[in-house]
Amino acid sequence: MSNIVEARALTKTYGSLKALDGINLTIPTGAISGLIGPNGAGKTTALKALIGLCDVEGELNVAGMDPRAARHKLMEDVCFIADVGILPKWFKVSQLIDYVEGVHPKFDRIKTGEFLSTTDIPANKRIKELSKGMVTQLHLALVMAIDVKLLVLDEPTLGLDIIYRKEFYDRLLNDYYDGDRTIVISTHQVEEIEALLTHLNFINNGEIVLSAMMTDLADIYTEVVVDPEQIAQADALNPIHIRELLGKKSYTFESVPKAQLQPLGEIYTPSVADLFVAKMKDSRHE
Amino acid sequence: MNKFHLLQFHALLQREILEHRNMFIMAPAILAGLILLFSVWAMTRMGQDTVSISIEYMALLFDGLSPLEMAPMFMIPAIPFIGIFYFCAIIYLMNSLYQDRQELSILFWQSMPVSNLNTVLSKLVTIGMVAPLFYIATMFALYVIALFWLAILGWSYDIEVAGLGYMFLAAVVSLIFVYLSIVTTALWLLPTIGWVVLFSAFAKRTPILWAIGVFILVGFLEEFIFGTQFLGNFVQSRSTPTQYLILDFQDVVERLINYDMLFGIMVGSILLAGAVYMRRFID
Amino acid sequence: MKNIILKNRYTLLVTVLTVYIVVLVIEGFITGRQAQVLDFENPFFDLNIKDLEGLRERRA
Repeated sequence: MSNIVEARALTKTYGSLKALDGINLTIPTGAISGLIGPNGAGKTTALKALIGLCDVEGELNVAGMDPRAARHKLMEDVCFIADVGILPKWFKVSQLIDYVEGVHPKFDRIKTGEFLSTTDIPANKRIKELSKGMVTQLHLALVMAIDVKLLVLDEPTLGLDIIYRKEFYDRLLNDYYDGDRTIVISTHQVEEIEALLTHLNFINNGEIVLSAMMTDLADIYTEVVVDPEQIAQADALNPIHIRELLGKKSYTFESVPKAQLQPLGEIYTPSVADLFVAKMKDSRHE
Repeated sequence: MNKFHLLQFHALLQREILEHRNMFIMAPAILAGLILLFSVWAMTRMGQDTVSISIEYMALLFDGLSPLEMAPMFMIPAIPFIGIFYFCAIIYLMNSLYQDRQELSILFWQSMPVSNLNTVLSKLVTIGMVAPLFYIATMFALYVIALFWLAILGWSYDIEVAGLGYMFLAAVVSLIFVYLSIVTTALWLLPTIGWVVLFSAFAKRTPILWAIGVFILVGFLEEFIFGTQFLGNFVQSRSTPTQYLILDFQDVVERLINYDMLFGIMVGSILLAGAVYMRRFID
Repeated sequence: MKNIILKNRYTLLVTVLTVYIVVLVIEGFITGRQAQVLDFENPFFDLNIKDLEGLRERRA
């Protein structure tokens, strides 16, 4: 399996603020990769860099191209949906579709029409008259009709209600994803997408603090609800996070063999959300 | 340039027209409507005698003239249209690479496989060649209505308005002159257009203040460093309104192919190239 | 070189404007264009406090 995205030592500074601090990121072809981090962690900057919408320093290769040198060529193979409603507000829905059909060689108008017929979006309305949920649906309808290698989603469901959010990801998974395409999703709400993902990346303060396959998480990370008498031993094994759980202490360990942890108490696989909290706190201490 | 690229460029032009339909379609239409309304109002205020004398006068004025000779007279009603057009053109160019950055729709435009060069070119072609067509079309409709009206008046006052066909031809010729004037003027003012577009791509806010402020600053620096005023001279030498009108087909070649025109296009291209590269910096 | 020019919007702007003005000046000297046409007169430029009478005459 080759990598569709390979980034080495990406750095981006805004004045004195380091938005990206030497990020290394690889995304294998066919993955659904999550880029998860708190607000201001550098998610948007990283994603924009991948598609040439932001000038960064470092090595970058996306779909065999350097996005900084050939943005418009790259965009034949990459699509992008951003967290803010970026569709031009003065366009009518039908005019927008005409435009994309005109400029994008891989756009299939019929597919968009089929998708839109399952929604309440009227073709003769201007985009500024649509609700935020509808605008996102419309953008998804456009993107799903473009046959690209990589889809980049930057907090696509931010500010949408739960029904739109669920439907968005259902459609993405059922109607779009076919195992060959690659999807990168950034969000700060882990729970929502964790079932979708094949790969997980945590980002904090412009650095990648975790990068793993979802199937490997259970092998690498272990959560142990430690028996009170074993606490000293647990402390000695360098937990990355400790939290109180119903009067007991729950420890999260990274790359510690399960056999070693078994005697300490009950063993679980941490949820992605717990892992996220653990990793965010962990990286703050370093 | 293959067929897809032509279609793509067509889509870009269409987008510009749709986005600025108020400036390119509504503005001339409203102006034409106002002119018509004013004419009707003026007619109702005139006495019957005045009207018939005016028609006779007009018939006499045009008598024996060829359409080519009449054409310049038909350019007089075009003046308010040209004025409004230039006003809109300045606003359009100022906003051309600025507004989409302000409203973040640039993230959408840039997520389409359209190069920065084609984006900038589409804006220049829109304002220099496509938008004027809408103004011309509106003026054409106005002239047709006016001539039709004249014919009816002549018939009802029983005055023979000779040469209505010639007048129609003259109107068409005058509109071709107007169009050629606008296109050659766009090329002649390419350095100014380039300057405006460059700052439209550069400024994070108020591109017009940047454009004017830096112009003054660069002018001062030039005088300070080289002791010359070529920048001010250059702009001033291109700002006499008489340079902007074409009243004869022979003028066209003369205006297009001469050293000053080609030099202007050359230095204008430097600024436009800067604007194309400036599109990289959108944050 | 390219990296320096395209480092940020300011370096690009300065580069473009420098090239522009240098081309204008060189062309001006080669073709011998008149370099000083904006020679506007302003009576306040040669304001001389001791010569108030002269100024009053000139402005009148």
